[in-house]
Amino acid sequence: MPNLTLKQRLYQRYWQLLSRYLDKRQPAADKVRLVQKLIFILPTRYGWWFVLLITLLYLLGTNYQNNLILLLCYLLLSVFLVNIVLAYQNISGLTLQCKQAAEGFAGEATTAAVNLSDDKKHLMLNMHFVQPDNTNDSDTRQNETVLLSQPATTATLNLNGTKRGKYALPRIKITSQYPFGLWRAWSYIALAQHYWVYPNPDADKSAVNISSVDASQQAKTDAGETLSPYRAGDSVRHMVWKRLARDPANPVVRQQYFSAQAEPSWVVVPPLSGDALERALRYACRQLLQLEQSGSSYGLKLPALTLPQAKGPQHLQRCLQELALC
Amino acid sequence: MLTQQMLQQKNLLLSWAAIQFSLLLLLQQAFAGWVIAIFALLLLYRLLSVFRAKAAISLKLVNVLAGIIAITFFLQLQQAGVLHFMLQILLLAATARLLALQHLYEARQLVWVHYFLIACCFILHQDMLIAVFILLVFAVNLYSHYRLFSPSVSQVNWSQTGRSLLIILPLWLAMFLLFPRLPPFWQIPNANIASTGLSDTLDPGSIEQLVQDDSLAFRVEFDGALPPRQQLYWRARLYEDFDGRRWQVNALRQNASRQRAADTATDSSLSYRIIAEASQQTGLFALATPVSSSSNVFISPSGLLSSNKPVSQRLSYQVSSSLAPVTLVAEQEQLLNLRTAPGNPQTQQFAYQLKQQYPQSHDLVQALAEHFRQQPFYYSLTPPPLGSNSIDAFLFDSRTGFCSHYASASAVILRHAGIAARVVGGYQGGNWHPQQGYLAVRQREAHAWVEYLHNGVWQPFDPTAAVAPERILDSLDSALPEAQRALLDPGWRQLAILQNVRQQLMHLDYYWSVWVLGFDDTSQRQLWRNLYRHLPAIAYSVAALFSIIIVLLLYYRLTQSGTDNTPQATKQLYRYMGKALATKPPSLPVSAFLLQCAKRYPAHDVCLKQLTALYEQALYKEDAEALNQLKQLLKCHKAELGRLRRAIKNA
Repeated sequence: MPNLTLKQRLYQRYWQLLSRYLDKRQPAADKVRLVQKLIFILPTRYGWWFVLLITLLYLLGTNYQNNLILLLCYLLLSVFLVNIVLAYQNISGLTLQCKQAAEGFAGEATTAAVNLSDDKKHLMLNMHFVQPDNTNDSDTRQNETVLLSQPATTATLNLNGTKRGKYALPRIKITSQYPFGLWRAWSYIALAQHYWVYPNPDADKSAVNISSVDASQQAKTDAGETLSPYRAGDSVRHMVWKRLARDPANPVVRQQYFSAQAEPSWVVVPPLSGDALERALRYACRQLLQLEQSGSSYGLKLPALTLPQAKGPQHLQRCLQELALC
Repeated sequence: MLTQQMLQQKNLLLSWAAIQFSLLLLLQQAFAGWVIAIFALLLLYRLLSVFRAKAAISLKLVNVLAGIIAITFFLQLQQAGVLHFMLQILLLAATARLLALQHLYEARQLVWVHYFLIACCFILHQDMLIAVFILLVFAVNLYSHYRLFSPSVSQVNWSQTGRSLLIILPLWLAMFLLFPRLPPFWQIPNANIASTGLSDTLDPGSIEQLVQDDSLAFRVEFDGALPPRQQLYWRARLYEDFDGRRWQVNALRQNASRQRAADTATDSSLSYRIIAEASQQTGLFALATPVSSSSNVFISPSGLLSSNKPVSQRLSYQVSSSLAPVTLVAEQEQLLNLRTAPGNPQTQQFAYQLKQQYPQSHDLVQALAEHFRQQPFYYSLTPPPLGSNSIDAFLFDSRTGFCSHYASASAVILRHAGIAARVVGGYQGGNWHPQQGYLAVRQREAHAWVEYLHNGVWQPFDPTAAVAPERILDSLDSALPEAQRALLDPGWRQLAILQNVRQQLMHLDYYWSVWVLGFDDTSQRQLWRNLYRHLPAIAYSVAALFSIIIVLLLYYRLTQSGTDNTPQATKQLYRYMGKALATKPPSLPVSAFLLQCAKRYPAHDVCLKQLTALYEQALYKEDAEALNQLKQLLKCHKAELGRLRRAIKNA
């Protein structure tokens, strides 16, 4: 990440240190109940203002030797202190669970459903995933406010995935300032769950162009006819050598329409690497979605793995997962 | 999103407006009339816009408006004083915020400023009733604070509130009682408020006005028994300059040195504690010659007490007095009190006659008292107006007057007869409350008498005692004729019940001032000492209390878990239709019975079938959602179930 500000870099460093501490304190688990050792409580900014108010009132009361102002000051102070307990009560005892792995396409917002349950009421809970790696987390991070008045609810939280793959679910930060906003009780919860980021079917313009061409048309066109500029990872075997000799600055490859076109119920990803692989995966992803939509059965051929032909959402999921892992 | 909704809530805006109105009322002493008018207008505008559901005014306009008002406040700074200026600016800030409230953080700032302003009200008011009102305003503000951070749909959780109060109250009291008290850190600006009580000038009418004021001047607790009423002359002012008509405090006394008198006399026969009401004056009260006092007040050489700054809130101090009269401080004092003013020729004549007849000053004073007693002098709250030679007119013409007339005339006669004399202003007597053990001295007990110099000692002489001894021995009421007594008790005060309520309130107020307002570092140290002494006893009782609570809790838990294995759904069902289910044979399951009922009473068929379905869901599937729905359904069909029950009973 080249263009990170100092603040972001410091935050990442801080988060690394913190996660090391948190991993020891709360290793990821299927079901986490918020107990005392997981909850942190510190005053909010408004809480510090409140402390200032109490200090000012103490000075005022002492200077005027006015017992009533002192009484009010102590009343505020005891309200302030009791709020620690109230803030703790509002968050403690909550049980978090993520039953299903979240899935989504790269570059799009992925949502994970987190189940919350407890016997008692919880109010004004704020939740989000902590993902310091995302440079633009401040805009995309959306807080979910949950009022837990029933014994169980589900919160949908936004996840950010820019790169395909299978990731462990990041820690959930769950905060509450409930009764008076003076104290923030929060906890970082790691759930033993993962989420999938599939290659984005729409991300690449050229991929879209290619796929807009009808499959039958594609079959007619000769594989060697379309040329496109060379990109890292393109197979050297497709290089147009004559043209390279003429213009060494702009290498050009023959655009391969993979042999999968001939057998439309097979989605094939050729053994590529780098950017080319990504493009191929995006294309394959798009193909898979289209095939699933059309209702025909299809299979997936990866360099290392072949999934037999089948159909249905579970098969699609399986295929997409293999694409993400490829 | 959430914030916008929250600020749209009418009741929040209304409660803030109400808080600001009450603040305006409470702080009205600090504001000039036009300031109050401005605030009232702004708030009224805000209320109108709330009721008409108009949007908040634009921030720019409000800023400009507030800027202009703030500048005018600043121009009036000299007049208002720093404290009042601060209060004005704070209230202005709060009002302007309320006018242009748009964001949640602005609302938080508003609540913060409200807290501060509410606390500032206590600078101006310490009365118990007003304090209760201020605490109410505080509670409203606390509630609005809560609303800012809680979901708009939720109700106040009363059980949680109750539990928090159970923690807060002891914590609060313990902090108040045990937290160390410090002396003031720095000099602070005081409120500019008109002073009450005796003033620095005494003209014939000033005390009459004062006695119509029923408010409390101060209260006294005696360490020993209550002294006889004849000794209860509370000295507060010395009037030594006479211009022929009115008496004035000498300039020397006004800036009297602040040093404390040397403790020469060791005879301190009377020790007492005075709780003085706020008077905005430095002058305080003591009996005869004060010998020593607590450190917050000073004793001047002439035996007067004063505090180092105007008494702006209740002040409690301890004094011990010797009952001996005050001694002469310096030769200068004697000369000062021999000066006579021109005029009043008849009085002069009378004084010379007396002087020739009684060369001894003591005899002369006795003769003067005898003169007042023998001749037809009257004691009255409404004396006729006197001419330019007021003393002459009083002594030889109207012969009707109040204590200030008698004191003033006596002092003038004594001075013309060559005896140094001065008028003393203060209070006489008081209202003794034996059960509470304090003497309440009100403004109506204001009194004036004379001190004359005899053998280097200022002997007190009260001419009023000669004219109307009841005034001294009993109270002012008994000394006045019926018609004038009505002047003292206007209208409603004469009702017996109200009188009683007022009395009780005054006693409460006494405890309030002793225990709440008068709680200072001395009482705190005393408390610590007591705590330390009874430490084992306290520890044992706390331990005993805790163990009792723990035993009770354990018992409760055991009994709960022992009997409670009926499912929640069955419990709910029995709660609403227990009587109907009582006819169920024990062998029949509940759901089967319900279905039977449904068949037998087709009017309730739908409801009962629904109930059965939900009940089975909740019981056998342990579905929380179904249980909730079951509860809802039972609640909704309460009336119908009642009809069913009656039908079963009648069958």
